[in-house]
Amino acid sequence: MSDFQQQALQLAGQQDNPDWLAQVRKTGAQQWLKSPWPTRKTENWKYTPLAPLQRSEFQQWAAKTSGWQDRIEFLELDATRLVFVNGEFDADASDSELPAEVVRFGDATADQHAVIAEHLGHIVDSEQHLFAALSNAWASEDGVLVHVPKNGELSKPLYIVHVSTPTGVPATANQRLLVVLETGARASVIEHFASTDDEQDGFVNSLTEVNVGENAELRHYRINLEEENLLHVGGIHANLQRSARLRGFTVSLGSKLKRIDYQINHCGEGAHLDLQGVYLPKNKQFVDYHTNVQHKVPHCTSNEVFRGIISDSAHAVFNGRIHIHKDAQKTLAELSNKNLLTSSKAEIDTKPELEIYADDVKCAHGATVSQLNKDAMYYLQARGISRDEAQVMLSFGFINELLQDVAEPAVRDYLAPRLAGLFSSNKELLQHLQYE
Amino acid sequence: MAEQQVEKMIKREYAAGFHTQIDTDTLPPGLNEDVVRFISAKKGEPEWMLEWRLQAFRAWEKMEEPSWAHVNYPKVDFQSLSYFSQPKSMEDRPKSLDEVDPELLRTYEKLGIPVHEQEMLAGVAVDMVFDSVSVVTTFREKLKEAGVIFCSISEAVHEYPELIKKYLGTVVPQKDNYYAALNSAVFSDGSFVYIPKGVRCPMELSTYFRINEQNTGQFERTLIIAEEGSHVSYLEGCTAPMRDENQLHAAVVELVALDNAEIKYSTVQNWYPGDEEGKGGIFNFVTKRGICHTNSKISWTQVETGSAVTWKYPSCILRGDNSVGEFYSVALTNNHQQADTGTKMIHIGKNTRSTIISKGISAGQSSNAYRGLVRMNPGAEGARNYTQCDSLLIGDRCGAHTFPYIESKNPSAVIEHEATTSKVSEDQMFLCQQRGLDPEKAVSMIVNGFCREVFKELPMEFAVEAGKLLEVSLEGSVG
Repeated sequence: MSDFQQQALQLAGQQDNPDWLAQVRKTGAQQWLKSPWPTRKTENWKYTPLAPLQRSEFQQWAAKTSGWQDRIEFLELDATRLVFVNGEFDADASDSELPAEVVRFGDATADQHAVIAEHLGHIVDSEQHLFAALSNAWASEDGVLVHVPKNGELSKPLYIVHVSTPTGVPATANQRLLVVLETGARASVIEHFASTDDEQDGFVNSLTEVNVGENAELRHYRINLEEENLLHVGGIHANLQRSARLRGFTVSLGSKLKRIDYQINHCGEGAHLDLQGVYLPKNKQFVDYHTNVQHKVPHCTSNEVFRGIISDSAHAVFNGRIHIHKDAQKTLAELSNKNLLTSSKAEIDTKPELEIYADDVKCAHGATVSQLNKDAMYYLQARGISRDEAQVMLSFGFINELLQDVAEPAVRDYLAPRLAGLFSSNKELLQHLQYE
Repeated sequence: MAEQQVEKMIKREYAAGFHTQIDTDTLPPGLNEDVVRFISAKKGEPEWMLEWRLQAFRAWEKMEEPSWAHVNYPKVDFQSLSYFSQPKSMEDRPKSLDEVDPELLRTYEKLGIPVHEQEMLAGVAVDMVFDSVSVVTTFREKLKEAGVIFCSISEAVHEYPELIKKYLGTVVPQKDNYYAALNSAVFSDGSFVYIPKGVRCPMELSTYFRINEQNTGQFERTLIIAEEGSHVSYLEGCTAPMRDENQLHAAVVELVALDNAEIKYSTVQNWYPGDEEGKGGIFNFVTKRGICHTNSKISWTQVETGSAVTWKYPSCILRGDNSVGEFYSVALTNNHQQADTGTKMIHIGKNTRSTIISKGISAGQSSNAYRGLVRMNPGAEGARNYTQCDSLLIGDRCGAHTFPYIESKNPSAVIEHEATTSKVSEDQMFLCQQRGLDPEKAVSMIVNGFCREVFKELPMEFAVEAGKLLEVSLEGSVG
């Protein structure tokens, strides 16, 4: 057992232990303790060193702070906003009126408690996911439940902002979301992770569990824009029932440690997954996406597209696994992962995996690693566009193909200038290209 | 109809599954330092060779059997195996073909190996390895004229100790992995090839491996050295008799391509795959690796149809600038066969290039995995890799997997990887049948087309054999 494993348990001991969460917390703690600490030989963590977690002493929970408001910019959209600061609910920054479908765990009614009890910790396979076990062990009343009843629809998108701020010592936050869509329900959820710029180490463990019912549709956005010193391990675990649709989009900057797992289970026939992701680590940052799509039943489809631009001395890892179970006939599954390395010190390790046990399926994956296309650079420069400008245009164009497909315009408008800003510090140039 | 055809395919018998009655000297089962010493003494090896083996053995004792491959098999009890078996009549080594035990020659004839020079495919010099010792090498004189050395590795230890000392274990070190360490300790024979500077080997070289004796493991070691500007093409084929128990084959192949040299290494592996219940068959745990110096090229081509379990990753270390690595593979698994095979391309030098074409065909209840690594080191300026892995599934109880590891630390390196999975489509079958082909012909045509890119890399004689091998294996498997 590692030091961090012990520290994490001590942290759990400092929390309230409400009766209705006791079981989830207990099982989580047991699994967390039982799990061997990942090393380079653990296949799922082969390229992802957990040393930054071991190095800092995360001996306390981050408390809510103030004065962060003018340092975080929110998305501009008509949505129901919930704000958590260092894992604690911030009523001042959040909307006061919540729709009936959305509730903080601590304020849940008896019916909603029943929904939480049914699903919380049951969608995720915490035996396989170490940090999901930790999230269970740390479960608190500061989680969010979205429960949309049969044929209902969330009238406005739900916008959850997780803010991390410095507290003077390395501190920890646990962030939890549970989305349950009943038959025919529809919802749009945006998770925005942000931090104030500072030198202080922090650790965020986030877990989102999703159950998309029959014919239901969820649009899910996960925006990870925290600063470099915030360590983040997150997971999105979803079960898709018959003819359910999940359309996901995710973007991440790097940090000392950033790891996001997407685990999608196709449990009912005709379910469909669309997942698009962008990762943009720079400096000495690190980012790791692991996706695992389990096709358990016939006639399902999935389409994943991930693109990354790795600059400076950054290191990115991508692992895209598609598992077609026996009898999951007529499955269509595709995965594409494209990477640009823009510096001689950058590193990418990618592994698109296929594991197939059914014959009448169509599966394909592709992965590429290269630098900016020299012909394209030449073409632009030959037309009088400066080298810097051409570089920004091509880099941004590379990820803009995915941004343009984002259904929520506010997400697109928020991300475009911020991501373009990563490719150049020249404000005039960005303005000229109309990215600002 | 499809059912019947699958049935028919499954009932295909293993044509090379006969056992030859020959008196043999076989070491009792078990493995310890004394066995290593015995093998070394039996071959009259010099002290340095014994020391090298013992180093490997001591390392092996401390190692653990790898378990990361996507295969399941009962643990091999290394103490129940015999580590040396040689036909008795080998005691006095034959000087020419006439002196070889006619029983032995008949074995090879049954397998269709062109050991007699007058046979149809004459022109292929064969080094035959029967259980543990090299039986005879044909065409040696003719090769000698060109300066090419082609002999068994135990002979080479005596006759060319300088070369062996210089190169043995430089590509696959003794401690490289569990099976390589085992092989280094107990290897009994294998082939040694040395092509001098600027020589283009006048003929295809070939080795034929056969496991005959019960409860034996075969541990052969092949070392090929191509000096500057030389060229060689080497073929390897394997079979084993049908047996209920699993037999072990743990070989090591080392290739050294010096500046401007080219080595082409082709394998047709048809070890006994076990019966339809998955009983018996060969465990094939092989380490093959080549090192490429400046402007050189190593090309691996393999057709894998046999073995109960295959664990094999022919690799290229592209150390020199502008060097080229190629890997062409067809792996077919049927019944309960399991294969975890692929390649590693380690790009170190500038402008190095590699191509990987892998075709996996799974039928019955088999499992077929491609596992590959493409690594671009920081110095691999302008390096290029293209990988294509296609899988064809026949039947709904088999599995096809792809695990490609791609690691890049150089921005000017370009890597492309694609993989697809499909079955023989109803449309394709309809089109062929509508033009008067019967379903079996149609399947064989489609599968042959699927593997075409790999077959065209094989030397002519092998391409024909490989095509036939697949045709027989897949007879009527889809309808």
